[in-house]
Amino acid sequence: MSAVEFHAVAKVYRAKRVIDALSFTIEAGERVVLFGPSGCGKSTVLMLIAGLVAPDAGEIRLAGKVVSTAGRIHAAPQSRGVGMVFQDLALWPHMSVAENIRFGLRARRVAASECRRRIDDIANLVGLGDYLHVRPGELSGGEQQRVALARALVLKPQLLLMDEPLSNLDAALGRRLRAEILRLHAELGFTLVYVTHGGEEAREIGTRTIELGESRAL
Amino acid sequence: MTERLVLVAATLLLAAIGLLPVAAMLKETLIADGRFSLDAYRALFASSDHLVLLMRHSLELALLTASLSTLIGVPLGVVLGKTDLPWRGALTLVLAAPLAIPSYVLAVAWLPIVGRTGLLGGVLPAAWSREIGSAFFGLFGCTFVLTSAFMPIAMLLTIAFLRSVNPALENAGSLVSGWPGVLAHITLPLVAPAIAFAAVLIFLLSLGEIGLPMYLRFPVYPVETLTQFAAFYDQRAATVAAAPLLLVTLAVLGLQTRLHRRVLQLGRRTPRGEAVQITLGAWRMPLFVLVLAFAAVVVALPLGALAAQSLSVETYGLALARAGDSIVRSLVFAATGASLLAVLGFFLGYLAERRTLFLWWTNEWIALLLVALPGSVIGIGLISLWNTKATSLIYASPAILILGYLAQYAILPMRVVAASLHAVPYALEQAAWLSGAGWIATLRWIVAPLASRGLVAAWLIGFVFALRDVAISIVVYPPGADTLPVRILTLMANGAPSLIAALCIILIAVTLLPLAVAGLWLKFGAARP
Repeated sequence: MSAVEFHAVAKVYRAKRVIDALSFTIEAGERVVLFGPSGCGKSTVLMLIAGLVAPDAGEIRLAGKVVSTAGRIHAAPQSRGVGMVFQDLALWPHMSVAENIRFGLRARRVAASECRRRIDDIANLVGLGDYLHVRPGELSGGEQQRVALARALVLKPQLLLMDEPLSNLDAALGRRLRAEILRLHAELGFTLVYVTHGGEEAREIGTRTIELGESRAL
Repeated sequence: MTERLVLVAATLLLAAIGLLPVAAMLKETLIADGRFSLDAYRALFASSDHLVLLMRHSLELALLTASLSTLIGVPLGVVLGKTDLPWRGALTLVLAAPLAIPSYVLAVAWLPIVGRTGLLGGVLPAAWSREIGSAFFGLFGCTFVLTSAFMPIAMLLTIAFLRSVNPALENAGSLVSGWPGVLAHITLPLVAPAIAFAAVLIFLLSLGEIGLPMYLRFPVYPVETLTQFAAFYDQRAATVAAAPLLLVTLAVLGLQTRLHRRVLQLGRRTPRGEAVQITLGAWRMPLFVLVLAFAAVVVALPLGALAAQSLSVETYGLALARAGDSIVRSLVFAATGASLLAVLGFFLGYLAERRTLFLWWTNEWIALLLVALPGSVIGIGLISLWNTKATSLIYASPAILILGYLAQYAILPMRVVAASLHAVPYALEQAAWLSGAGWIATLRWIVAPLASRGLVAAWLIGFVFALRDVAISIVVYPPGADTLPVRILTLMANGAPSLIAALCIILIAVTLLPLAVAGLWLKFGAARP
């Protein structure tokens, strides 16, 4: 069964057709890169998959189930089993690293002992074991990136969306983190949809690339 | 779905609290003995000469106050918000303090200075001081005191909106012109909607002023509606008399709504880069002395004179004995009103900032209308609506007072919360939803903690405005449950000046003390997002 299906999906923002009749399929376990120039709607595709916005036309399915149709969101973001790493990471600044990771587990009413175990596991997996009681603002860019990854992965999502997650990092750190993302993918087996406008990054991360064209004014 | 329900409920609540009383008031003026009738208006127009004079006084006072406040407040805002003047923060706080104090209290404070036997009498020739003393009780005095009370609105809005100017535009201008040219041709035109908004807001607030003209015996229109109600116990006549004031407000509101839209657009601009600061150079110390002297004369002098007049333990003992119950009531009512205002303002502010429902603009308009309406009109509307057998429980209880605060001041916490939410990226909420949290949980754990400084500020502003309120309170307070500002106003008729001064000092202290504590907490204790 396909992890993601877009059928003739369109989205308009302020009299601009950002996405027009877009159709594609992503199979479970695939690493797909959405590639294209700025403003072509790459991030919008992620928002549509996550259920943070509704399409203006077409149909979106996740794991075979219809989750969004024109103007309607059938499955709320919190019930889609989707993890997301935002472009500016969107770490909650008033919470420690542990609290950032724990928040989703608590929202899903995971028992406290299980919470602790999963936080320790994921922190070790991404190399954050020593930083659990620190607030995100005190961490470096690369460490913050790992917190965002850990927060998304601790919920064991079937589908992980990453919106230009390495765009604010220097080249060397970016390369190291790309390797880490590939390692985590191999280890956990989620489907990855990754947005970038960097050619090298696209080739390295993706097993397949979906190229989006320029958006058009209506 | 929960989000939609809660935000629609908040909108309906605001409309019900604010618009139903106004509608009830209008209905009462048009229905007599169960039938449509314009008799009340015919009676009103029969005494039109008197009313026209009162309305002219009100308009003159509002126009003069708005003009002077803007002329003084904008340059002060530029100097305090844009330059390297020493002690900018402290001077801003001192100059803004009169806004937190009922304006008639400021008049009481000025009396020992400009009164016939006052401080000026010892310095100026007798004829001059007599002249000033009698002018104080009239348009001159009302304009002077109201300007000192409302000037901070123009000053604070100027400071706030100067931050929304893109520094690159000013930098580009400063390559071809000096700072006076940049200010005149680039910076101030860019924030002109905010300045105009402040001027119109001051006009509307002055138009509805009731306590100060009563104290300085300057006959204005809002006092007429109160007289009909309080002196002649004629609720219908009071309601009819309030209608023209409502019409004038609605006429001005058209302009204010357009300005409000442009001000909201300004507020949503995120400046790129550091704000540009004007280096005063050789002008720094002379300007500092000038602003310091202005603050000393306008704020420190009258408040010092007030404190000096009340300086005895016996006076304060007497003040507590005569008005202790009113002080406690005022604090309880203001704290309750502020808490409810903060809750309502949180949801309305959320909708105003996130604009997730089309209703956001309806809220802006209703809240703007309600703050622009004279408090006496809202008060009379509340009585028209709630003075029935079925609702006497509300009418005869402090709940009616709290409803008045919620109606008139809803826009304040709403805009404060919206401004603080502007600094909380929407992605933080989206991340919480994707983590499995619902809308309420996201508000509880993500949005509210990150907007906590804004929420505290919203509570404080609600508290201050509820505590200083006279116009609504004097109309609707239930028997035996007056507030401190109302008690002071009634004691003025026969109370000793030292007693009135002591009560005014107590009112200022209970207003400013929580502000000072919270200010320190916001500066040193509260977590910044």
